[in-house]
Amino acid sequence: EIGLIPCPEARYNRSPIVLVENKLGVESWCVKFLLPYVHNKLLLYRQRKQWLNKDELIDITCTLLLLNPDFTTAWNVRKELILSGTLNPLKDLHLGKLALTKFPKSPETWIHRRWVLQQLIQENSLPSLATKGSLGATPVERIHRLVQEEMNVCSEAAGRYPSNYNAWSHRIWVLQHLAKLTVKVLLDELSSTKYWVSMHVSDHSGFHYRQFLLNSLIHRTVTDKNIPVQKQVVNEQNPSLQKEKESAGTEAACAEEQSVDLPGRLDEEMELCSELIDNYPGHETLWCHSDESLNNSHHSPATSHMAQAMDVDGLNESSSKQGYTQETKRLKRAPVQDSLGPEMEYRFVDKVLSTCRDVDQARFATAYRKWLVTFLGQ
Amino acid sequence: MHVGGEVDVRSAYCAASVASLTNILTPALFAGTAEWIARCQNWEGGIGGVPGMEAHGGYTFCGMAALVILKQEHLLNLRSLLHWVTGRQMRFEGGFQGRCNKLVDGCYSFWQAGLLPLLHRALHARGDPALSMAHWMFDQLALQEYILLCCQCPAGGLLDKPGKSRDFYHTCYCLSGLAIAQHFGSGDLHNEVVLGIPENCLQATHPVYNIAPEKVARAVMHFLQYPVPSLDPA
Repeated sequence: EIGLIPCPEARYNRSPIVLVENKLGVESWCVKFLLPYVHNKLLLYRQRKQWLNKDELIDITCTLLLLNPDFTTAWNVRKELILSGTLNPLKDLHLGKLALTKFPKSPETWIHRRWVLQQLIQENSLPSLATKGSLGATPVERIHRLVQEEMNVCSEAAGRYPSNYNAWSHRIWVLQHLAKLTVKVLLDELSSTKYWVSMHVSDHSGFHYRQFLLNSLIHRTVTDKNIPVQKQVVNEQNPSLQKEKESAGTEAACAEEQSVDLPGRLDEEMELCSELIDNYPGHETLWCHSDESLNNSHHSPATSHMAQAMDVDGLNESSSKQGYTQETKRLKRAPVQDSLGPEMEYRFVDKVLSTCRDVDQARFATAYRKWLVTFLGQ
Repeated sequence: MHVGGEVDVRSAYCAASVASLTNILTPALFAGTAEWIARCQNWEGGIGGVPGMEAHGGYTFCGMAALVILKQEHLLNLRSLLHWVTGRQMRFEGGFQGRCNKLVDGCYSFWQAGLLPLLHRALHARGDPALSMAHWMFDQLALQEYILLCCQCPAGGLLDKPGKSRDFYHTCYCLSGLAIAQHFGSGDLHNEVVLGIPENCLQATHPVYNIAPEKVARAVMHFLQYPVPSLDPA
C-alpha cells in the first residue's frame, strides 16, 4: 500500500522514499517539487514538445498516478502503451490497486480499471492465447482469477471509505461483465459479503450490493427456465448446490439452478437483517434492506423482478391512470404465498417497538410497520 | 462523458440539456436514451449511475431532468422516486444526504431538493389532485436554515458542511438549492418562502437547467431561429 508521510521539511539529505515491508511512503515535502515536475514532463510530451521513450513514459505516469490517480491524461497515455503492446495490462491492474490503497474512491482509477479488464476479456477470447497464457492457466481459469482479484480490490477499497459507491459499482460491473452473473458466483458473493456487511451496518452500498445479488438470482431463475422456483417451507431447505461449470452452457446451468433455494436465501437475508437490527439500533440502511428483502420474498420470483420494471403487462405507462395503480397491480399479480414472512415481521417489529430505547430505531420501526400494512395488504 | 470515457446518466443529462437549449434535439439523437435512464431507477426509488447501481442524489437529478427534457418522465415510478427523495432530507440538519445512511452535504440542496419541482410538475401533468399550490414537497425553511447557518464560509463562498473548506462547486449548488427552496412555482402561482431578512432572497433558478429562467427562454428563442442541423453531408 502507498501513503504520504507528513514531513513538512527535508531534515536529512536523503531520499524521501520510504519502504517498510509492503508499505511505500513518500515524505510530503517532496511532493510540491515532484508532482509539478512529472506533470510538466508529461504535458510537454503530449504537446509534442519533448519526446519521452516508452520506459520513461511508464515511469512518469506511474509516479504521477500514485500521487494523483485522477489525472485522466496519465491513464490515457498508459492506454496507448497497452494498445501498442509495450505495457502489460496486468501492470495497470496492479498500479490501480496500489493507487486505491490511498485513494479508494478515485473515479478515474476505477474507470481505467474497467477499460483494462475489457481489453483482457477481448484478449482472452482470442484462440491464440489459449496456449500462451501465463502459468498455463486456461482462459476460464484466468477470468476466474481476475474476478476473485477484483472482488478483493473492491472489498479493500470499500473498507477504506464508507459507502464507497465507486468500489461497489465496480464490483457489480465485474460480476455483470466478467463473471456473467452465474448462480455460483452470486451465491459465493452472498456468503463472502455476509460478514463484511455485518461489520459495516451503515454501509448502504454494501447492503445494496446484496440486494443486487438477490435480485440477480431471482431474475436468473426466472429467465433461464420460465417457471418459478419451487416454493419450499423453511424447514425443508435443500441447499445442495453443485459446483457451477463456468461455461456458458445454458442446459447445464438450468439443471443446477433448479436446486437454488431462493426462498431459503431470502429467509436467511431476513434473519440477518433482524439480527443486525436488534444488535445495532437506529440504522436506516438495515430497515431499507429489510423492506426490500421482504418485498422480494413475498412476491413469487416471476413477479418480484417486476419491482423494478415499470411496464406492467406492457401497458402504456404514460396513460394518466397508470401511476398510482402500479403498486396495486404488483400486489394483485403476486399469488398468495405460504411464506410466514409477514407474520414474523409483525412480531419482530412489535418486539422492537416495545423494547427499544433508541429514538431513531423507534421511528424506523414505526415506518416499517406502516409499510407492512400498506404494501403487503395484510 | 467523453470519447473513450465512462458512460453514465450524467452524460445523458448534459447531452439533453445542451441539445434542447440549442435546438439540435432530434428523436434519432436520443433513441433509446429514455428507456436506458429508466433502467437506472432501482428498488430504492432513486436513480443510479448506470443500471444496477445504488440510487444517488446527483445521478437521480440528472436522470429525472434528462427525462423531463425528453418528455418521458412517466417511464419512471414517480411515486417511489418521491418516497426516496423525501426520505433524504435529514430531520436534524435540515439539509439533504446523497444516499441513505450517509451524511448531509450542502450540494445536495440542489441535486436532491431540485427533484421536487420536477416531480411536482410531472405529477401535476398527470392530474394529481393532492398537490400543494404553494409549497414543494420538502421542508423549504429547514433547508434554507441549513444552507445559511451551516454552509457559509466566513470569508465568502459556501461549502459541504461545517469544517469543510469552500469551493466553487459547493458555492454553486448551495446557492442553487437556496433558490429552489425560496421559490415555489412561477408566474401566477409564484410563492416566495424566504428565511430571515428579505435580502436573503435569491433570483429563481430553472429547475431543469439550473440557470435563470429568462436565460433559458432567451437561449431557446435564439436557437429556434436556426434549423435543426441534419446529419447528412451538405
